[in-house]
Amino acid sequence: MFRRNNIASRIFQRQIYTPAPGTSVYCARRFYENLVPSCTIYDVECPDQSFRKFTDDGQYLISFSRNQQDLVVYRPTWLSFSCKEEDCDAHDLPPKAKRFESFFTHLYSVSLASCNGNELICKDFFLYVESNQYGIIATSTPSIHDAAANGAAIQGVPYVEKLTFHLIRLEDGVILDVKVFHNDFVNLTHNMGVFLYDDLLAIASLRNQTIHILQIRDSGNLVDVRAIGAFCREDDELFLNSNAQCIAFPDKSKLHQLPGNNVQNGTHLSQPNQEDSLLSGIKQRLLSFIFQGISNEEKDPALVQFLDRQHLLIKFGSVDGGVSRNADQHTAFLAVYNMETTEIVAFYQNSAEELYLLFERFCDHFHTASKNSVSMNFVSSHSNNIHALEQIRSVKSKASSQFMKKMLGSLPYSCQSLSPSPYFDQSLFRFDEKLISASDRPRQSTDHPIKFILRRQPCSLKFKIKLGPEAGNADGRTKKIASFLFHPFLPLALSIQQTLFLQQPSVVNIHFRG
Amino acid sequence: MGSMLGDWPSCDPHNFSKLRRADPSIPSRMMPATYHRTHSRTLPPPDQVITTEAKNILLRHIYRSAEEENDLRPKRAATKHLIPEHGCKQPRATSY
Repeated sequence: MFRRNNIASRIFQRQIYTPAPGTSVYCARRFYENLVPSCTIYDVECPDQSFRKFTDDGQYLISFSRNQQDLVVYRPTWLSFSCKEEDCDAHDLPPKAKRFESFFTHLYSVSLASCNGNELICKDFFLYVESNQYGIIATSTPSIHDAAANGAAIQGVPYVEKLTFHLIRLEDGVILDVKVFHNDFVNLTHNMGVFLYDDLLAIASLRNQTIHILQIRDSGNLVDVRAIGAFCREDDELFLNSNAQCIAFPDKSKLHQLPGNNVQNGTHLSQPNQEDSLLSGIKQRLLSFIFQGISNEEKDPALVQFLDRQHLLIKFGSVDGGVSRNADQHTAFLAVYNMETTEIVAFYQNSAEELYLLFERFCDHFHTASKNSVSMNFVSSHSNNIHALEQIRSVKSKASSQFMKKMLGSLPYSCQSLSPSPYFDQSLFRFDEKLISASDRPRQSTDHPIKFILRRQPCSLKFKIKLGPEAGNADGRTKKIASFLFHPFLPLALSIQQTLFLQQPSVVNIHFRG
Repeated sequence: MGSMLGDWPSCDPHNFSKLRRADPSIPSRMMPATYHRTHSRTLPPPDQVITTEAKNILLRHIYRSAEEENDLRPKRAATKHLIPEHGCKQPRATSY
């Protein structure tokens, strides 16, 4: 659309030309080629906190106190420095403007984890409900390993005594509701075990092999919708309990009255407790769907995501595979489950080519974003961007089956883990994905500046993200990790460099358009 | 004088000749006649209702491939009576 690179002529052209239908967001984004965060304030003086992320609407910066007990919320603002001299461009920012407070206004701090209860905030976990500006934060007691299984729980999975999800109104920091899990375990690293879709929250409990579905009401209440695991339909528990008396005294005429869970050929039912061969509802669904010869190992629901309001994509893996995403050693299965009909619609192994082809073509439908969130619907992926597609196809051509398994290892997708910043739009900029990407996972830090190069002609270098001054660090041996927080629409980014294994405070740089 | 568009079939061959003027710089105020269909081959069915498909394209593909697999491998229907006819027989326990 824009033939020239000059921003003034682009604005004039915008007055005349209408973008092609359905491309107005992409056309407006092209202005980000002209507005880049080219200035950096290194090692800015800021509170010693762990900055988590910008909310997807850009209204808040979420961070947690170093002791992991308080939530601290800032409002991103902008510099209010002005220069009265004639040649302002030559002037650098005055020292009093180079402060954290120039860009961020502290709104409030809320204490979430109680001091005496040895609870801590899970600083890798945060979900944002954009429609109501609610935030979901988790606090938990320390995890306990080597726990013996009891009841429905499975062995080998650690557990925490108390895990609490807090629903907070970010406008003022009021805690609206909490949901507490006792003696349970949910993998909260980078939002893995929890998925938010519109107002529905799915929480995968590893220890009790249950998927809890909750609804976030506009009033701020967390309401239980259903729990999929031991029972698939809401009234299964009632039905089973009401038949418990009959089953305790083996009465053959009652055997056929068991609920929709398919009775396996010849499973001997004597007592209806969980230690018996009566498998939990969701696992019966899975086993009745697949043939017996495929897998002899018991697979448990490990991760979950929504595909739409009725369908879940559930990853069944062995216990160890469920806690991490390392797919190399473990076979896992992915199933599409319809919550309304309680049927498993489709089932794939984690190396299935059919599933990979669906993932390659319809990646955006796995990255299910709420319809309320405009920005999240335009994140670059290999399904909506030719450059991203070419990149994965070139990697795929080199090592096909390993690559497919690795790509499918990212399913189910982790909710809200991609930044909607236009600087990660692959049609605008080219950058090294090993050093920086839209994903908020920290990665190994580098001394070299990370370059963002224009995709279109003249393919020039537009801006660089440098983590430290040019001289680099004196001690090259200490391992450092870097994480990047990009504002969704302002030319503003934070880069945070942390030294591993040492308790040094992290170095925070602010990148902005000067 | 033939129309600018040649001798293409139209309802009324004089329609376009009325529009064509000798001097193109003079703005024409003539409105072209409304098109009336001459056949009913492409009419939609009278009870047609167009709505948005509830399932997104990914789920449609998943359901379709699941249905194709079911068509290829017809499942045996479960017997109506899960308990055997003879009351003395017990279902055999298998180890899973």
